[in-house]
Amino acid sequence: MADPYKPRAPFAPWDRRTLPGLFDVEESARRVGNYKWAEIKLFEVLGGWVATVPELDVKMRLGTHCYKHAWHSELWHKRLPELREMNPERLTVPPNEAMVRFVEAMTEPEAPELTIEKLVGVYRVFIPRFIAAYTYHLNGTSEITDAPTIRSLKFILQDEFDDWRDGEMILQSLIETPEEAARASAHQQRLETIMIEAGGIAGIGTLGTP
Amino acid sequence: MRKFFPVDDLARDERFNKVTMRDRMRDPRTALTSDTDSSGKRTSNFRLTPERRDASDGARGLMHGIFVGEIQALEGAGRTCWDFETGTEAPFALKLDMARQCWDEARHVEISVKLSDWMGSEIGQYAENTVLFEAACSTDPVLRLAGVNRALEGLAIDVFTTMKEFGNLAGDPYLEFCEDWMLADEVTHVKMGSDWLRKITENDPERRKKALEFQSVVDKLFSYGGTRSDSHESPIGLARRFRELAGFTDDEVEVIADVSMQALNERKEAVAKMLAAAEQFADSSANA
Repeated sequence: MADPYKPRAPFAPWDRRTLPGLFDVEESARRVGNYKWAEIKLFEVLGGWVATVPELDVKMRLGTHCYKHAWHSELWHKRLPELREMNPERLTVPPNEAMVRFVEAMTEPEAPELTIEKLVGVYRVFIPRFIAAYTYHLNGTSEITDAPTIRSLKFILQDEFDDWRDGEMILQSLIETPEEAARASAHQQRLETIMIEAGGIAGIGTLGTP
Repeated sequence: MRKFFPVDDLARDERFNKVTMRDRMRDPRTALTSDTDSSGKRTSNFRLTPERRDASDGARGLMHGIFVGEIQALEGAGRTCWDFETGTEAPFALKLDMARQCWDEARHVEISVKLSDWMGSEIGQYAENTVLFEAACSTDPVLRLAGVNRALEGLAIDVFTTMKEFGNLAGDPYLEFCEDWMLADEVTHVKMGSDWLRKITENDPERRKKALEFQSVVDKLFSYGGTRSDSHESPIGLARRFRELAGFTDDEVEVIADVSMQALNERKEAVAKMLAAAEQFADSSANA
């Protein structure tokens, strides 16, 4: 057995984590507040849509995904006080007015014939934006000082990828004609246009400045 | 998408057939038919057991009822996530609980679809009445919790307990296993309802009174025809122990037991009147 009193390096040779990160505490809290707001909006509409879709498999998927996004919002809610925001509601806000318009447009479809539009908004526009924002945060934040956020991001990203795959596969099974493909892309374009204005889940600069 | 979704607009595929509670009770496959014991003597035990002559159809019908009930419970919990503003109209934590319930109910739909298939029935083989979702249409989230989580999910505890016992008696471990898991979730949902009701109305006795009255109305509605009570004349028993685990007080369980028994007696009276009228009609026809 190795001598337990022999000095060892505090970081093992394979542990390549570094201290610097792109975000200070305030910027991290601001982003987390935007994430929480967006996750709340997402779980609310997924729950609301359950009653409006006639397809049984879609109904069940929406119910399942509703909880996952609620759980994400809860993780961010709990992280905010740890980032010195003792009143989490203060930062639970959209990044800008365009994001509010995006959510309004995404949550607009209600009729039972509009399942494609509902799913396009969530799985082809909103969730890919979550994946992008979370990946940027994960890759950019300090691996040591912001480890709790990184842990949550990893759990959440796993859910986002799983849900995106579920939603995309359902969409591919629902879109059967050129007309339906046109409907899907037209709705996606409409929403993307607003999302570009919003700049992403955390607003302009969600993915930094190239 | 609008807030507060009307029950008539619930989206279903073409296999589903919606009917009223009254129509459903008129379906002869759901009737409380007298059974006979091994000597051929009529008994008054209507509890769903494998010995009943109509056990297979009864169990399939009940499973289909569970299936559509789970869909509506999923829809109701989902609407509570959407219909109320977070923070101002419903606490954030309450909505998190409702989202969790969505996931649980979605799993229950999955389970009941597979169990229905296992029992040899198909989606849409029995009609669906949407009274469960109606209880989830209140504009007050506390009333929804009282009507859905305490009254209806409470009924689900009774139904799953009966189904679990049926699976055990019928030698169907697959059914018993699944019902036991669903029962665990339902106890959690009822407890959510009990906890939130007490918490939100802690300083608002009038609102609490209204919520409990609404729960009582729903309990009575779902005791329609004496389908659920302590009596063996009801197909579904009252699962007292699990209700206690879910946060019901002894007094509250007694009230539900009384309401259920009253509903059973009302139906028995109605059936007796119908039989008397039929006999009178038969006599007058014979004399004529």
